[in-house]
Amino acid sequence: MDKLLRKKSNIILFLAPAFILFTAVLIVPIITAIYYSLCDYKIGLTPEFVGLKNYITMFTADDDMKTAFKNSLFFMIFSCVTQLLFGLVLAALLTNIKKGRDFFKNVYYLPCVLSSAALGLMWYFIFSPKYGINKIAESLGLIEKADKGVLWLADTSGFIILPIIVISFVALWQYVGQSMMLYMAQISGISSDIYEAAAIDGCTKTQAFFKITLPLIKPMVATAMSLNAIGSLKFFDLIFSMIPEAMRGKGGKAHVLATVLYDQGLRYSKYGYACAIGVVLLIMCLLVTFLINKFVKTESDI
Amino acid sequence: MQIDVDNSLTEKNKKTTKIVRIVIYAILCFLVLVYILPLLWIIMSAMKPNADFKSSPWALPSDFSSLADNFIFAWTKGRLGRATLNSFIVSTVTLIISLIVGSMAAFSIAKLRWKFSKLVLTYFMIGMMIPIHCVLFSLYTQFASWHLTDSLIGLIIPYTAFSLPITIYIMAGFFESIPNELFEAAVIDGCSVPRLFVTVGLPMAKTGFMVTGLMSFVNNWNELLFAMVFISDDMKKTLPVSLTKFVGPHSTNYTQMFAGIVIAVIPTIIVYCIFANQIVEGLTAGAVKG
Repeated sequence: MDKLLRKKSNIILFLAPAFILFTAVLIVPIITAIYYSLCDYKIGLTPEFVGLKNYITMFTADDDMKTAFKNSLFFMIFSCVTQLLFGLVLAALLTNIKKGRDFFKNVYYLPCVLSSAALGLMWYFIFSPKYGINKIAESLGLIEKADKGVLWLADTSGFIILPIIVISFVALWQYVGQSMMLYMAQISGISSDIYEAAAIDGCTKTQAFFKITLPLIKPMVATAMSLNAIGSLKFFDLIFSMIPEAMRGKGGKAHVLATVLYDQGLRYSKYGYACAIGVVLLIMCLLVTFLINKFVKTESDI
Repeated sequence: MQIDVDNSLTEKNKKTTKIVRIVIYAILCFLVLVYILPLLWIIMSAMKPNADFKSSPWALPSDFSSLADNFIFAWTKGRLGRATLNSFIVSTVTLIISLIVGSMAAFSIAKLRWKFSKLVLTYFMIGMMIPIHCVLFSLYTQFASWHLTDSLIGLIIPYTAFSLPITIYIMAGFFESIPNELFEAAVIDGCSVPRLFVTVGLPMAKTGFMVTGLMSFVNNWNELLFAMVFISDDMKKTLPVSLTKFVGPHSTNYTQMFAGIVIAVIPTIIVYCIFANQIVEGLTAGAVKG
């Protein structure tokens, strides 16, 4: 038995296809992307090594990237905070009821599996000046005329522009189900003995939540938060489908990292620069995951 | 969180518990509306002629003879029919290949005995942290030189590779939970390792297949960025890409665009309604273990 399971030929046979595919399509392209990011590489030309030029341009001379950093960081902080808050509240509410728990859970989780592009377009119409919520406000008499109302997706004033805030709420709507599920899974794993013991000692339900539930689900907070952070740094579909092209083109105020990368690569065919943005995105994702795991997880050991 | 209601609980306490429960249900029901109403509005509006929508965007469809008109237009003229087929081909082929290749690798990591199995698992796990944006253009230029762009195969290959880490992770967990005795019995009967995998391993990990399969299908069905960069031929575009092209600011026929959106979400909604519990549990399984 042992001999058979140790046979080299079997191991290679089973492992090789996945290993080769994964290495060739994910690991090797990362290495080439890092190399391209140090090159001037435009379509049809061979890459020409220029050192850190792309990175220097990105951090000093590119206004779109400045906008993108600002917006992406806003998305990240907003989603980490709100998802933690609402995800926990939903999980706490759902674990406290018996009837219909699966129904509510499944409804809240539904948008997570639907296409962001399609849902983004749906919200685009709901926030459109003429036919969506402005029309309701008009018929309720809150505003005089629908197209004179708030320009949800076109207002460009302020440090963080309104469309970005609207989209962060749409993203919260779409993905809060995931955080909720993660917290619920963790909460249901806590033994009921602990709660019973606490109740005997005169602990109220609210106290139990803060003193027992929260500390015990801290590892999951780290996991859910890293997922949110990475997800919001990678954010693309909702911006692409909800924001008019002019606001995510050159000089647009609604740029995020992924839309600049898309623009530079596909529209201007500056592959070297696009790869540099990709590398920065990768580093940010790794860094954020590391920081969250370090700070959120270690506290739970105390 | 459930705490058994003690017999000694006073009437007053019982009353507050009841009120709290009503408040909780009220909040939950309100949220259900927040989730369901936008979808219902889109589906309802997609069944109306554009003129009806413009005059009263929140009314029910009145003309029952033209309910399907917008859908037919979006499906044929909007090329969403073709796009649905493309998405179906890409997602299904990716699903099959990543399940076969991934579960084989997971089996070798979980059940075969060799020194570096843990290390290789970690190597695959790196893939879960990599944003695909990072490899987007280096892979694109590579595939362009191999003439793999503008073909569905050019999407299937990266999608499969991106599905592998999570597939391997979850499947390895399932294989590990199969007791070794089962394998030992089969080996004594003279079973070879590939046959062991097919006859003992696979049937035991059925749930794992279900979970990872649904996950990879849903992810690839919805993927936008790669598909947009890799495919420029209209006949080969996948559903999310064709949809964003079809629903644009230049078109003025709103209800046809709504029909397009509905076409894009309805298949996933149906799959979700059938497998909701498996999907929900599966999607969290990976994260919970980590």
